[in-house]
Amino acid sequence: MPKTIELKVPDLGGSHDVPVIEILVQVGDTITKEQSLVTLESDKATMDVPASDGGKVTQVKVKIGQEVNPGDILAVIEVADTASAESSPGKPAGKEDASPSAPAPAKPATQGVPEQKTDPVQAPVKPSPAPQAAAGTGRKADIECKVVVLGSGPGGYSAAFRSADLGMDTVLVERYETLGGVCLNVGCIPSKALLHAAAVIEEAGAMAAHGITFGAPKIDLDKLRDFKVKVVGKLTGGLASMGKQRKVKVVTGTGMFVSPNEMEVQGKDGTQLIRFEHAIIAAGSQSVKLPSFPWDDERIIDSTGALELRDVPKKLLVVGGGIIGLEMATVYAALGSEVTVVELADQLMPGADLDLVKPLQARIAKRYKGIHLKTKVVEAKATKKGIDVTFEGESIPETKTFDRVLVSVGRSPNGGRIGADKAGVAVSDRGFIAVDRQMRTNVPHIHAIGDLVGQPMLAHKAVHEAHVAAEAIAGEKSFFDARVVPSVAYTDPEIAWVGVTEREAKEKGLKVGVGKFPWAASGRAIGIDRTEGFTKLIFDEETHRIVGAGIVGVHAGDLISELALAIEMGAEASDIAKTIHPHPTLGESVGMAAEVYEGTITDLYIPKKKPSAT
Amino acid sequence: MADVKEARVPDIGNFDGVPVIEVLVKAGDRVEKDQSLVTLESDKATMEVPAPFAGTVREVKVKVGDEVAEGAVIAMIEADGEAKADQKPAEPIKAEAAKQAPAATSVPARAAEPAKAEPAAKKSSGGAQEVRVPDIGNFDGVPVIEVLVKVGDRVEKDQALLTLESDKATMEVPAPFAGTVKEVKVKVGDEVGKDAVIAVIEADGDAGEATTPAPQAAEPKAEAKAAAPSAASASQSDTKPAENASTSAGGPRTPPVSFDASTIMPDHAPYASPAVRAFARELGVEIGQVQGTGRGGRIQREDVQAWVKHALASGAKPGASGAVATGSGLNLLPWPKVDFAKFGEIEEKPLSRIQKISGANLARNWAMIPHVTQHEDADITELEAFRKKLGEENKDLKVTPLVFQIKAVVAALKKYPTFNASLDVTGEKLTLKKYFHIGIAVDTPDGLVVPVIRDADKKGLLELAAELGELSKKAREKKLGPADMSGGCFSISSLGGIGGTSFTPIVNAPEVAILGVSKAQMKPVWNGKEFAPRLMLPLSLSYDHRVIDGALAARFASFLASQLGDIRRLLL
Repeated sequence: MPKTIELKVPDLGGSHDVPVIEILVQVGDTITKEQSLVTLESDKATMDVPASDGGKVTQVKVKIGQEVNPGDILAVIEVADTASAESSPGKPAGKEDASPSAPAPAKPATQGVPEQKTDPVQAPVKPSPAPQAAAGTGRKADIECKVVVLGSGPGGYSAAFRSADLGMDTVLVERYETLGGVCLNVGCIPSKALLHAAAVIEEAGAMAAHGITFGAPKIDLDKLRDFKVKVVGKLTGGLASMGKQRKVKVVTGTGMFVSPNEMEVQGKDGTQLIRFEHAIIAAGSQSVKLPSFPWDDERIIDSTGALELRDVPKKLLVVGGGIIGLEMATVYAALGSEVTVVELADQLMPGADLDLVKPLQARIAKRYKGIHLKTKVVEAKATKKGIDVTFEGESIPETKTFDRVLVSVGRSPNGGRIGADKAGVAVSDRGFIAVDRQMRTNVPHIHAIGDLVGQPMLAHKAVHEAHVAAEAIAGEKSFFDARVVPSVAYTDPEIAWVGVTEREAKEKGLKVGVGKFPWAASGRAIGIDRTEGFTKLIFDEETHRIVGAGIVGVHAGDLISELALAIEMGAEASDIAKTIHPHPTLGESVGMAAEVYEGTITDLYIPKKKPSAT
Repeated sequence: MADVKEARVPDIGNFDGVPVIEVLVKAGDRVEKDQSLVTLESDKATMEVPAPFAGTVREVKVKVGDEVAEGAVIAMIEADGEAKADQKPAEPIKAEAAKQAPAATSVPARAAEPAKAEPAAKKSSGGAQEVRVPDIGNFDGVPVIEVLVKVGDRVEKDQALLTLESDKATMEVPAPFAGTVKEVKVKVGDEVGKDAVIAVIEADGDAGEATTPAPQAAEPKAEAKAAAPSAASASQSDTKPAENASTSAGGPRTPPVSFDASTIMPDHAPYASPAVRAFARELGVEIGQVQGTGRGGRIQREDVQAWVKHALASGAKPGASGAVATGSGLNLLPWPKVDFAKFGEIEEKPLSRIQKISGANLARNWAMIPHVTQHEDADITELEAFRKKLGEENKDLKVTPLVFQIKAVVAALKKYPTFNASLDVTGEKLTLKKYFHIGIAVDTPDGLVVPVIRDADKKGLLELAAELGELSKKAREKKLGPADMSGGCFSISSLGGIGGTSFTPIVNAPEVAILGVSKAQMKPVWNGKEFAPRLMLPLSLSYDHRVIDGALAARFASFLASQLGDIRRLLL
């Protein structure tokens, strides 16, 4: 059996998509090592690509005009070490290493698609074949545009606004009456308004210990809800007017692709057909609705329902101890609910380092009815009295009947609900859409951003992706090159982290060192009587560059940005330690933590440890 | 009995896809031997293809716009009366051996190429193959600083086998294919050169599965090696996937974004801030390839710029996109777009092919060669007197001043051999030539062409005059072949017949200097006692300052002037 060898395009010195202008061999030719196979012509020079081996050509894999990249296969040869070189011409050979840049025609998208997980670290990938796109409808379009953006959440509106600012005629499709998506309407923003209320209640109550008593708060739920609605209204109204100023056309209705260049929008007043040159899918995600709950009962709620603030249930069960569940627990506990939390994993907020979660857990353990880890709900039955819940696991809650049950076990992407297959866009079975670093799907003129391209499902990630997608469509060389996406839980205390966690470092055997500054030594934290927090920085041991950070404590979310910047900039421990932080602030703890790592701290006494340099 | 034979395109010097710009005959025409059948226009010149024999055109097989290559049939011609009996198609007329086509020189790809594997010395029928050090760019004796595999290891294709450290950089030698390491032939500290055997790897046996669809009808062309760039690059832009093209084509081309330690840890993440990363993207530079010069190896904006500069200078590794005209690559401003029609009547006229090609060459030469122009006046009073006399004696010949200039240049090149040289693509090596082929810039209606007079040192003045006359005639009649225009060592551009006091000619790369000649004028020259009227010829010598320094150029120019000032010296 003769050996087959693939002859590939060598390193082209940074050139990409270099056209083949001539093919110098053909199937059946016997070539010698160093013989020229093809001529490539970059814009600077033509070059012949020599054969790295001699043998008989069985396949020529490129054609004139095709653009190739380093590593692409040019030809397959049989090494003439056996006599059978005559047989089976054209027998394909070689183990394709799925070089994603190969512009091979009709190559199915084998790009990985992240799986969904509540863990904000990207999950392993799974291929999904590209579907066959539908043919165009041939109908006259109601609207023709350069760019259509599906979904008006933070990703969607940012994509649309950026597209418009880059001079492209843009249509924004949103199924709800107001712009802003989950984040503005039923997510980040309203929850922060309510969390503010909760924080004030907590702080006012806490001052009783220091001589100032306000008395029990009187809660006018309608007024509080109005406040929340006004906050949301201000932002969504602002979006609408900014869209108008930019001349972005907003089409209200549910958008579905019907072909690679057409989208049908089903609105109140009928159906509109949009013909577009480019699309940006920003259709987001929705709460996972576990089927074991009686969803037709209005006492079973997801985060959207919780934010409606219909009442303050006496007994609230929160299923899922992730960020969303614990934020809503914080609100309802402050308003007076008796809160029980069950979480399947062995810690709250899986994904964050355990030490960050501990101060939160310690605080809420005193305030909530119970926190039950490694426990799950096996059955929930609606009865007149309430929702009867059956648990299973290591820690079974005392309470079995609840006035409301908040199910917050994660979000699933909406990739499967937009007719993506009609456009030929590959969607994984979990609903994710695979994209490249320019947020391009397997269909080159359709981009996707935000929750439905993968974890973490965070608005600030989506916004950056949105700009990349719009700029890429406008022909700019924008790529998503951010290295870290900070995560924040707006619980009380807040937990924020960015970059490498201690957990990940341990799992992967990374050589890191930690500088940790306890807020018990922070004058500011003492002054506000919130000393449970700490700031920890994680450094690469060899270079002393910061690779991760975690903060727990009030306003942790406001402190983490400095560390995201530090990681992106490749700051060293002493860059941070030698930056003067204002005193007395909570932010000062960041500089102090770096000093701890450097061994230069004077606000703590740390007995001599190993020298920090390696 | 009359014989219908094919008239084919002769050897046109390794060009392919040369467009037919004019068809000069039609079916039924009688043609004489050597009568032009069609006009072709290569990037060097236009040329006419002559009939190989006399006869009657039966069929014309090409039309204007067709692209032809050597051997293509142009027409079927029924040869006159008693044509030779042999059945072979008539021999195409061969142009003079034309091998060098500078525009299409194949530039070897960059240094660190993937290792070139060679079949092992007929070992087992299995796939044990030797892995050799790839071309590492004219280095020899590069020390191995690390061996990354051992016998028995399974390696993946492109997995690093060992690390070499030249004085320029460290580099890893990748496995050219997956397999099992059978033998490691080097150890740390060994010095290796190109093609040294590193290891023997038994390639995976089951490499036979096809995962790519069979390529569509490739159009292999077995013979020609060089190519006319323009046609191909035109089709290149056409084949770029149209935005709305096939929906199932091309999966995502860059890996999806992931957020974990692999994008952050210093041993994986290039040490560059977000702005510098974006800047590199803008220039199409893979940031991972850039060597940082900041503290701790931080990649700074300047490092990215330096990388691009180096890439441009070395020619073989340009940025992914457009030439100077688009503004990218050199990072220039885009070409101004003006709607001229707003300001008055206009007419658009495409540049001729020669203009386009020579324009691109001139732009490259101007941008890449640091030019300096040295001006000098030569006293040619006596020379002119002699030339006129020579002209009278040889009425059938046109003895132009250029002939003397060629002679003088040859003498100067002999004295200053650095001027008869070429710099290689890396800018590190000079090739000195022992022959004296002089290019003469000739203005034709289609544009500038530079025919070359070969071995000008071996030819007498009259011989040169005769050859010059012939070349200019050929140029005007578009009969210059690539062979007539290649191999030059030094060019002369004479505008003396038109006017001017001096100009700055552009060096004709890969030559390193060019002589510009302006119009001779009678000038008062101080001869020590008085001003005497002398005929002064302005010379402008542009040179590549990377190769030639100013003092040398001044010497060359003044030597040239002294040669022209006293032609007896040409005998020396």
